[in-house]
Amino acid sequence: MPRYGFVIDLKRCYGCYSCQVSCKAANFTPRGIDWAQCVPAETGSFPTALRQMLPLVCQQCKEPACKEVCPTGATTQDENGIVLVDKNLCMGCKACIMACPYGARQTVGDWQTYFPDAEGELDPYEAYAKKQWEKKNGYGMATKCDYCKDRVAEGRKPACVESCPAKARTFGDLEDPESEVSMLIRREYGFQLNPEFGTDPACFYLPPR
Amino acid sequence: MGDEMATTTTVQEPNVKEDVWINTSCGGCYAQCGIRAHRVDGVIVELEGNPETPAGSGRICAKGTAQLMTLYDRYRVNYPVKRTNPEKGVGVDPKWERISWEEAYETIFEKFRNMKDPRGTYFQATTVQTSEIRFAVPAFMKAWGFKNYWVSGGGLWCGNGAHFMNGIMHAAWSIIPDWNYNKYTLYFGCSKGHGAGHAALQSAQWAADARARGMKAVVFDPFLSTQASKAHEWVPIRVGTDGAVALGMINVILNELGIWDAPYLKLKTNAPYLIRPDQHYKRDPETNKPLIWDPKAGRAKTFDDPTIEDYALEGTFEVDGTTCTPAFQLLKEHVKENYPLEKAEKISSVPAATIRRIATEFAEAAEIGRTITIDGKEIPLRPAAAIFFRGSQGHVNSGWNCLEIDLLNHIVGAADVPGGSMGHGPPVSFGHPDTGKPETVPYACPDGLMTVKGWVYDHKPYPLREPAPPQRLDLQDLYPCSVYNAFTICTPEWEKYRKDFNIDYEPEIMINFGSNSVMTMANAEGVTENFLKQFDFVLSFNIYQNEFTEAVADIVLPDASFLERYTPCVTFPSTFCHPTGMDHWVWQIRQPVVEPLHERRDFNEVMLEIAKGLGVQDKYFQAINDLIPVRYGGEMDEEYKLDPSGDYSWQDISDRVLKDRLGPDKGLEALKKTGLEKWPTKVEEMYWRWFTPVRVPIYFEFFLESGKKLQKLLSSFGREDMADYRFYTPLAEWFPCPSHEEEDPTFDLWAFSWRPSFHTQSSTQNNPWLDEVSVNDPFVYLMQINATTGKSKGLKDNDMVWVENPDGNKIKGPVKLVEGMHPEHIGIAGCHGHWARGTPISKGKGQFFDDLINPDLAHTDSLTQGSDACAKVKIYKVAGR
Ligand code: SF4
Ligand code: SF4
Ligand code: SF4
Repeated sequence: MPRYGFVIDLKRCYGCYSCQVSCKAANFTPRGIDWAQCVPAETGSFPTALRQMLPLVCQQCKEPACKEVCPTGATTQDENGIVLVDKNLCMGCKACIMACPYGARQTVGDWQTYFPDAEGELDPYEAYAKKQWEKKNGYGMATKCDYCKDRVAEGRKPACVESCPAKARTFGDLEDPESEVSMLIRREYGFQLNPEFGTDPACFYLPPR
Repeated sequence: MGDEMATTTTVQEPNVKEDVWINTSCGGCYAQCGIRAHRVDGVIVELEGNPETPAGSGRICAKGTAQLMTLYDRYRVNYPVKRTNPEKGVGVDPKWERISWEEAYETIFEKFRNMKDPRGTYFQATTVQTSEIRFAVPAFMKAWGFKNYWVSGGGLWCGNGAHFMNGIMHAAWSIIPDWNYNKYTLYFGCSKGHGAGHAALQSAQWAADARARGMKAVVFDPFLSTQASKAHEWVPIRVGTDGAVALGMINVILNELGIWDAPYLKLKTNAPYLIRPDQHYKRDPETNKPLIWDPKAGRAKTFDDPTIEDYALEGTFEVDGTTCTPAFQLLKEHVKENYPLEKAEKISSVPAATIRRIATEFAEAAEIGRTITIDGKEIPLRPAAAIFFRGSQGHVNSGWNCLEIDLLNHIVGAADVPGGSMGHGPPVSFGHPDTGKPETVPYACPDGLMTVKGWVYDHKPYPLREPAPPQRLDLQDLYPCSVYNAFTICTPEWEKYRKDFNIDYEPEIMINFGSNSVMTMANAEGVTENFLKQFDFVLSFNIYQNEFTEAVADIVLPDASFLERYTPCVTFPSTFCHPTGMDHWVWQIRQPVVEPLHERRDFNEVMLEIAKGLGVQDKYFQAINDLIPVRYGGEMDEEYKLDPSGDYSWQDISDRVLKDRLGPDKGLEALKKTGLEKWPTKVEEMYWRWFTPVRVPIYFEFFLESGKKLQKLLSSFGREDMADYRFYTPLAEWFPCPSHEEEDPTFDLWAFSWRPSFHTQSSTQNNPWLDEVSVNDPFVYLMQINATTGKSKGLKDNDMVWVENPDGNKIKGPVKLVEGMHPEHIGIAGCHGHWARGTPISKGKGQFFDDLINPDLAHTDSLTQGSDACAKVKIYKVAGR
């Protein structure tokens, strides 16, 4: 069975937020929820300061801190290593949100329209998005990135990988030593974010320069 | 609408009746990438890049994806409305009242019919919908008989100096590096390949490939921009001083290193042309052609004499009793004498040693003498480029700044050859293999200098326009190099200017397509009071009620967005869409993925209706016949020309354009299925420089004559003061902005604006997804100031401050103390701080930088009439905060 993983090349990434926005669109996430958050940061001091974007996704950890604390068994790992939340079992205790060291889980109370001042019903797109969201996710429960599991099953790539103008994101099988992700990690010094958290992420980063 | 547009059908759920993907073109910015839209039961639910096109290569940016929210935005204008509050002005509530389309048309027809003089019409259009403006705007101008035209953004946000100089030097609208072969690029105040709309997504990918390959990038910018943050080296520089640094580098390269590409300079530029002591060309008395010196023959010959064995670049020569010097020698001496590195350092704050080092790296990286064979053709390889855009050109020295940076490319022969700086969109096109259209190849003027064949606007960049008594309300026709002209119309002097130049008609009707000029030309009050309020009737096509419509529009028509309309050609003229390098040409269309919602109607359709209603459709059709060969290269077949006495819909016109350019089987119905037509590029097109027998100037002899003519003309109207004639000099000079000469030490910072990669001019801030991104980003809604500078002023993050220019204009906002900022600057994201009622999402977020800009004569480039977009300011805490 493949173990799905990500490689995000920080030297290719120029911080455009396409991944964040295309994730929102592909997963119909409600207002305020972004599973592919981009975190820009400045380091160093003038004139040698640096700015670098850190694009995040759920790290689909092998030893997920979120799963460990889940009291209901709602959090599971599928055969590809994707960490999933069962909307029917999750009781919304938020233990996983606090436990996840990567800030990958979010919850939302209700569907908030993006156009709060408008009168009348939701526009057809928001109505559609709401329906889609409710089909797979919901309110009060923990929600998170699943590496676009359904798209991948259809043979497509995760939305953020497909949109990235700089081709900074690669998706594939970490178990296969010949896969593009494995080769990138080997050849270009791939590293996990904060390995000391001990969760063994499936998301690897390539150094910014 | 319907099945004919379906490209794939993947019915997923039993209760879903329709599930299709439709190919079209994004309209989120002027890159106009090819995209696919996913429609389920009549609703667009997904947008993604179309992998079939080189214009985007299957990718989509944040702005593009977020256009879904603009299509379905519940704050959009969905019905025609009229203003019921007679008061106009910034911030006024127009008290819109919904009207029917019939009433709107009747009012419009009546206003036009009652005009005192049709010449008093003014078309103002957005550059975001750049393909939409190519038909209706010029066609209506010709049909109704007026010449007044303004592209919003043209004043502050577009490229006066850049487009003009790129037109002269590269036959193109812009320049970008050839990332595929480049090893070293100098970027001056631009973000190409890092969010700029210049073939945005393919460029981003190629730039990333180049980075991964080890391409070295050096970025000159007052702040640590997106581009600078990805570079090997960020060189903090004072705004507007790029040209001085470039001239210093040229000095190093020519006089210290002694490096130049002699064959390029001899054969592809006017460097060998002999110059007389009076600065003019030495011409052959018989043919009037400029002369060069052939050192082998020991005599002067005309520049194109087939017997020339060699060209002298240096030395002085006696020709018929006149002492003549090759232009190159003059340039070399000029930079040595006038641009020593100490001077460049004093102007720019970049240390002389840094300028010298970077100049050396650049000249060496060009690898002069190397060649490469592509498709069996051996051509020079020059893997170094110097690139610029907004930052360099938004100053008094607009035109010259751009040229000075570009001269670096021409000295080392790195222009339109692999690895160098490339005209963009590609200026040479042999056309579709079936039709030979669109065809455009630059050609030489009698002096041997490059002249573009087709151009986006009526006047080509070269030969320069003859200064003439003005017919336009903005007096643009006075000036020989002007692309846009803001300083006349935006000042209280406008009426006086018109009087002084005997303009015998008044501004009467403005038609505005999509622009928000109250926020994109200069300070809002000035633009509104001095310019926009002078019109009796303002008709506006918009998708939102914005600062412009609320201030001055009388009728607002609900425009369709790009997902609701037909546009027959978005990738030609190829100003911003085609990647530069060996790939494919692509002709993309835009088609409605959904019928216009509510009562929205497409601008091009409505303008056609207006022309018909006014009884000028014959001239409208004729104008379209006339403009197609200019904009889309190549004569029209008789068969597809519009019959002026005929009757056509916008779709009929689109169909004819497509068949004429691409072939009889590639009309609208065919293109609706694919969304595009593509064919391979040729090496002679992409790397055209050595295949095209043209030269470009390094010595601008023709400015002398133009400047004199301009002076004579302006003097004849008693307004000699309306230009600084020192700008009309043949050798590149750096001229300061008022901000560089401010003497009051309390104005101790330069304010400048910048653009986040996820916004397009003033059109995207109200998009809720992009607003979410902006809120999330620490640099967009705050004003960035160098941390040390900020602390020395007692400031900390989020302190509210006033930013005030010497004229007393001021803006207010919270500061963010950062390290990535030159200590003498404050950087503000442009086009933010909206206040319109119709844009509640963006309202009050960020700052409105343009309020600091006064586009008077002193803040205008005397060469290109570009506006200076920097200001010297003082900042101080808002009382009580
Ligand atoms: S889309 Fe790609 S380049 Fe843009 S922020 Fe995300 S990872 Fe970086
Ligand atoms: S990143 Fe967080 S949410 Fe994702 S698997 Fe790891 S612990 Fe769980
Ligand atoms: S770069 Fe411009 S045209 Fe391309 S997807 Fe983004 S917004 Fe659309």
